[in-house]
Amino acid sequence: MTKLTFILPDGTERELEAKPGLSVMETAVQNNIEGIVAECGGSMSCATCHVFLDEASLERIGGPGETESDMLDFAATERRPTSRLSCQIKVGPEIEGALISIPERQY
Amino acid sequence: MQTGSLLDSIPVGCPMHNASMGHRPFEHEGMYRFFAEVRPEAPVFYSPEIDYWVLTRREDVLSVIRDYDRFSAVIATQPVCPWPDDMMAFLKEQNFTNEAVQVACDRPRHTRIRDLAGGFLNMRRFQIYEPAIRKLVQGHISRMQVKETVDLVDALTYELPAQVVFLLLGEESFDPRKIKSWGDLRINLIWGRPSHEEQMDAARDLLDFWHYATDLVEQRKKYPRDDYPSFLLATRNGDDSVLTENEIKSLVFGLLLAGHETTTNAAGNILLELLRRPQAWKALVDDPTYIPNAVEEGLRYASSVVAWRRLAKEDVEIGGVQIGKGSKLLLSLGSANRDVSQFEDGETFDIARGNARSHIAFGNGIHHCIGAPLARLELRIVLEELTAAYPNMKLVEGEEIHFTATISFRGPDRLLVRPEG
Repeated sequence: MTKLTFILPDGTERELEAKPGLSVMETAVQNNIEGIVAECGGSMSCATCHVFLDEASLERIGGPGETESDMLDFAATERRPTSRLSCQIKVGPEIEGALISIPERQY
Repeated sequence: MQTGSLLDSIPVGCPMHNASMGHRPFEHEGMYRFFAEVRPEAPVFYSPEIDYWVLTRREDVLSVIRDYDRFSAVIATQPVCPWPDDMMAFLKEQNFTNEAVQVACDRPRHTRIRDLAGGFLNMRRFQIYEPAIRKLVQGHISRMQVKETVDLVDALTYELPAQVVFLLLGEESFDPRKIKSWGDLRINLIWGRPSHEEQMDAARDLLDFWHYATDLVEQRKKYPRDDYPSFLLATRNGDDSVLTENEIKSLVFGLLLAGHETTTNAAGNILLELLRRPQAWKALVDDPTYIPNAVEEGLRYASSVVAWRRLAKEDVEIGGVQIGKGSKLLLSLGSANRDVSQFEDGETFDIARGNARSHIAFGNGIHHCIGAPLARLELRIVLEELTAAYPNMKLVEGEEIHFTATISFRGPDRLLVRPEG
C-alpha cells in the first residue's frame, strides 16, 4: 500500500493508503475525495481529474506525455509545471508520501 | 418473456405497479412529469412494454454506468424491437458487416478502440474546426434573413451537425440531408417501434448508408486526407491487431449517426427552452458570457439522449430492488438530470444554475461521449450567432411541439420562430 495525501481546495487534508495498480484518480473516486470529477473514467478525454503533484513526486514519476499535456491545456484551472491528470498516474512506490493538491475547479 | 410473472409479484396499487403501468417509453409528451412523480416512491421499476427495468435516480444511474464489471454496454445499440429473421438474412447476404465499436462494447475491446479513436476525436482537434463551424452557422442564418417566420430546425439545427460530421470525414460533396434521412430511419430501426414492413424498407436504406461509409473509407485508402478515416487508416498501418478495416468502417458508420442526431436534438431543445423564456434569451443577448452555462443547463434540463441501456451480467440489487442476471436496464438520463438530490429545484430551467455542468447528459465513465467537446462547441456557436443576429427572436405562439417517438432520443421536429420578434 502507498501513502498518499490529498489536499482539497479549502486546505483540508485527506490521508489514504492506496492500493497498487489503481490510478490515483480511481483511488480518489473510490474514497469519495471531493474535487476529482473524472467524468470520462480515465479515458483522457475530459481533463476533470487534474491535480498538482509535489515537486519531488513529479521528479520521480516524470511529467505528462504529449497527449496528456495536450489535455492539460484545456483544464479548467490553469495548469502549472506540477500538473498531471490523475487518471494517468499509477499508484506505486514512486509516489509514496505524495502530496496531491486538487485545483479549485475541474470545469 | 417473463413479463407476466414479474408484474404478478408486484401488488396492484403500489407505487412500483403504478409506475410500470404508467410508463410510456416511446412517448416524450409528459415524460418529465411522469418521472418527477415516480422518482420519490418507485425509483426503480419494471417497464413491461419494453421488458426493461427503469432507473430514475441519479445515484443509481451513476452507480450502474460506472460499474463495468457487473453491467455490460453490449445492449446499447441493439434494436429495442428485435429485427425479424428475414431482415437479418437479407442484411447478411448483402454484406452488412457493421460491428459494435466503442459505445456498445465492454473492456478490453472498448479500451483499445476508444484510445485509438481519441487520437483524433479530442478537444485539441475539435478546436481546429471552430472557424469552419461558425461560417456554416452564419451561412444558415443569413439565409433566414428575409423571412417573417422560420422553422429553426429546418433552417439550421437539422443540417448543421451533419455538415460538421462531414468536416471530420473530409466529405465535400455529399448532401447532408441524405445522411439525416438515413439517420432518422436507422434511429427508428433501433430505438423506435417500426412495423415489419417499415423494418424491411428501412433495411435497404441501412445498406445504402453502410455502403456510403465503406466506400468513403475505401476512397481514403487510395487518397488519404487530413481527416478521421485517414487518421484511423494511418494508425492501423495494415495491422489488424491495432484496428481492422471493418472496425474502421464501423467507426465511420457510427460517427455518421452519433455525431449529429444528438446534436440536432440538443440544439432544438436548448433553443426551445430559451425562447419559451424571453428573459433568458434576453439575458444571453445582453451578456453572451452566460452562453456556456446556458448550454449546460439546456443539456441538463432537456437532454437529447433521455435514456441509455445496460445489461446486468449477474444478479444485482439496485435501490433496494433485486434484479436478475440477464435483465435489461433502461437508465433514464433525463430523469437523473432533474434529480433534486443533485439539482435544487430540478424542474426549473435556470441558465445561471451553479452546478448545471454536473449533469450526465453525455453519460459518465469510460463511455462518456467522446464528441462532447464538439457538441458543446457547436451549441455555443449556434447561441452566440443567433443571439447576435436576432436579439428579438420569439417563438410563434400556439404551436404544438412534437418530439420523435424513440426510447432514447428526444428533440423537437420543428421549431417555428419570428426572427425579428
